[in-house]
Amino acid sequence: MPKIEPGMEAMIDMYIFETSTLLEQLDEIILRVEQANVFTDEDINEIFRIMHTVKGSSAMMGFENLQLLSHKGEDMFFIIRENPGNMKDINFIYDLVFRMSDLFKAEIEMLQGSTDYEPTDFSDILKDLDKGAAMLAGREAEAEAEASAEAAEAAGEAVSSGGKNYPAGSMSVRVFFQEGCKMENLRSFLLLNKIKEEASILDYYPDDVEHDPSTCNTIMDDGFLVVFKGDDNDSVLRLIENAVNVESYKVEATDTGAAPAAPKPSEKAAAQAKPAPKPVEKAQNFSPVPATPSVNTQQAPAAKEVEAAQQLNSGGKQSIISVNLQKLDQLHDIVGEIITTESMVISNPELEGLKLESFLKSARELKKLTDELQDTVMSIRMVPLAGPFQKMNRIVRDMKVKLGKDAELKIDGENTEVDKSIVDNLNDPLMHLVRNCMDHGIEDDVQQRIEAGKPAKGTVFLSATSSSGEVIITVSDDGAGIDTDRVITKAERQGLLIKPASDYTEREIQNMILLPGFSTNEVVTEFSGRGVGMDVVKQNIEKCGGTLTVESKHGQGTMFVIKIPLTLAIIEGMELEVHDTIFTVPISSIRESFKASTNEIIRDTMRGEMIMVRGECYPIIRLHEKFNIPSDVTNFEDGILILIETDSKSVCLFADKLIGEQQVVVKPFPPYLGRYNIKGAGLSGCTIMGDGSISLIVDVPNLIEN
Amino acid sequence: MATPTRELAAVKQTAQSQKPTHLEKEAEITKTLTFALGDQVYGIEIPYVIEIIGVPKITVVPCPEVPYFIKGIINVRSKVVPVVNMRSCFGKEEIGYDDKTCTIIVSLNDVSVGLIVDEVLDVLSVTRKHIAKTPELNNVNNNKFIDYILEMNDGIKLILDIKKIIFEHDLALM
Repeated sequence: MPKIEPGMEAMIDMYIFETSTLLEQLDEIILRVEQANVFTDEDINEIFRIMHTVKGSSAMMGFENLQLLSHKGEDMFFIIRENPGNMKDINFIYDLVFRMSDLFKAEIEMLQGSTDYEPTDFSDILKDLDKGAAMLAGREAEAEAEASAEAAEAAGEAVSSGGKNYPAGSMSVRVFFQEGCKMENLRSFLLLNKIKEEASILDYYPDDVEHDPSTCNTIMDDGFLVVFKGDDNDSVLRLIENAVNVESYKVEATDTGAAPAAPKPSEKAAAQAKPAPKPVEKAQNFSPVPATPSVNTQQAPAAKEVEAAQQLNSGGKQSIISVNLQKLDQLHDIVGEIITTESMVISNPELEGLKLESFLKSARELKKLTDELQDTVMSIRMVPLAGPFQKMNRIVRDMKVKLGKDAELKIDGENTEVDKSIVDNLNDPLMHLVRNCMDHGIEDDVQQRIEAGKPAKGTVFLSATSSSGEVIITVSDDGAGIDTDRVITKAERQGLLIKPASDYTEREIQNMILLPGFSTNEVVTEFSGRGVGMDVVKQNIEKCGGTLTVESKHGQGTMFVIKIPLTLAIIEGMELEVHDTIFTVPISSIRESFKASTNEIIRDTMRGEMIMVRGECYPIIRLHEKFNIPSDVTNFEDGILILIETDSKSVCLFADKLIGEQQVVVKPFPPYLGRYNIKGAGLSGCTIMGDGSISLIVDVPNLIEN
Repeated sequence: MATPTRELAAVKQTAQSQKPTHLEKEAEITKTLTFALGDQVYGIEIPYVIEIIGVPKITVVPCPEVPYFIKGIINVRSKVVPVVNMRSCFGKEEIGYDDKTCTIIVSLNDVSVGLIVDEVLDVLSVTRKHIAKTPELNNVNNNKFIDYILEMNDGIKLILDIKKIIFEHDLALM
């Protein structure tokens, strides 16, 4: 791997965070631009800024391949920026930039995931970027024959040495860095990039500061010599002076040749293209607050909406800091501990029988505060769904191009908040569902849509609302809907039916598409049709405690409904005792508990036990048998039955006794036990009780299935 | 991070090939916590040791896949930590817990585990001259988890390879 400097290890999280944020911004901008099909100055400057920052920070971290990639991207936009008027056929840019940002993201993911990271070779995309840049530059050449050579040269590879006779108005400066600041070559390179924003660089020495770390010594000893020429050389000097780690600088020579009365064409072009003075970006200062694009009146109306939303978001961003998720988890753990300890103190057995008026008053006060603390910590972990929702824009866009269908994505309620860990788990399912809507939902034939009285352009609609501890997310389309006849024939052929086809309700048939191995698509496409997918989506959603259902009207569209809990970490549980083991069953899956006598029990041929409750027969799971606990309570008269249910099935659990209802903080089993399928055995986690003992949380769906 | 010093790793490799100077021989390179299982004395390098506690109430994890030597989970200051009985992990006969029985909580890369041992003995200062190489006899169950051996005046101490104990504990089943 490219050796990360020891001092940089701490920075890598920050780097990953910032770069990912910037890349997402880039995606958003390009999507917007593509919709409007015109690059505004604002957009170009913003993209340029993003590329530049990414390049700078990649260079700081020593990721040369990423640096090179962003450098080429920057080059391309440099040409675009220099010649904003000459852009006609720009469609290829979008794909190029998306490809680049995807590669970047993949690389960063690798960086994040593994310790033995190997840098990827990006030569393919680099070539294409070069080609893109050349195409843009070529067009430029037609329009502005004279200036082109210079511009293309400048864009091609930063700077070319223009001989030792520098033109009038140039200035040569020797820059010295602080002693021991390390990586002088990269700092020089960053400085060069900054100067490039203000002036054109004519020459610099040592030559290959970008790639040759051995130049460090030269720079340390003799300083870094740079010759530049700008409209305002003083501002460049100020920039140098304020740059990070610059100790001092010395103006070596100033060629104050009389400025030509009429500027040369190339200069004019440069002056036009020069961006409005922008804040100096300090690459080292990983500011997590992304700069905000300002409102642009030239934007297409559709884009305005997005812009306005961004403005709205950005208004609040100043007061936001980014926190490592691990620290939040830690805080959350501590709060859990405080709550546990609090109940240990307040209901301490030693206090029994004492008259404690003021103690109880203080205890109530404490309880109020800890409840508040818990609510606050929970709210910190909540993040809006906007992130995963916005990502779907990309999916719809890509599929639109590939499938040749015209469709748009509408989003509603993206400000709905859910727990961070759930948001992370939602990305994949959402992507699958949106793809499904695009691929299967929206009709292939536009004519079909028009005949059905629908607009030619299809719509995929994403929405989120929250209601009483649950978030409901819907992914719907206005396409053809599910053809129940086709589904049932297909299911029959695949042997998925368990009763006669005519016995199935419409709803049941629709939900068949969520079964493993089911696919109505005759042709497997890049996106779907393999029959894996929908059942995986269902599983993923169930993994974060949610449910997935389908509603569809033939000819009018399909709607997938995801219901997920607001947070995973704290649940309302019922404590059951079996011998000396305590189990917690989530209250949400308990229907009732009751006593039964042995003569009410029905035994089937397989020695399984069942009980009849109000005309319905439920199988009984004896917890002590299931979990192999030597319990004395084996007679139904002595224990208690608890009726639990999931969407599809209900069973009765048999336990020794009920202890009571309690809010519990869910803890996963320790990683040491990760290789054993404890979940499959019917346990989803554990929790620490008020008296310090551990209770096992029952995984109701798994317990019922097995 | 709880990793032994680089120096120690180097010493382990060259334990018998090079002749260190007298001074080097006497210099302390690590400390080790020793404990007993029956007659045999074992050691764990101190950086891995988080704390030593008695045997708290163990909650059995009723899952058929969990091997016999993992006794369950315990609550160590609101952290859920699995516990391993070192006797059964090393293929020895399990004995009941008494007031000398201890749980040594060790941790590596944020994965913690409690090791139940007969008795915790001492913390020893280890110098270069104590270190002997592990014999290449991997067929003995004990040896799978032994990193190296210390030869002290009062006998031999087997130093455990905590990385294997934590991340390759199923070796004990083979």
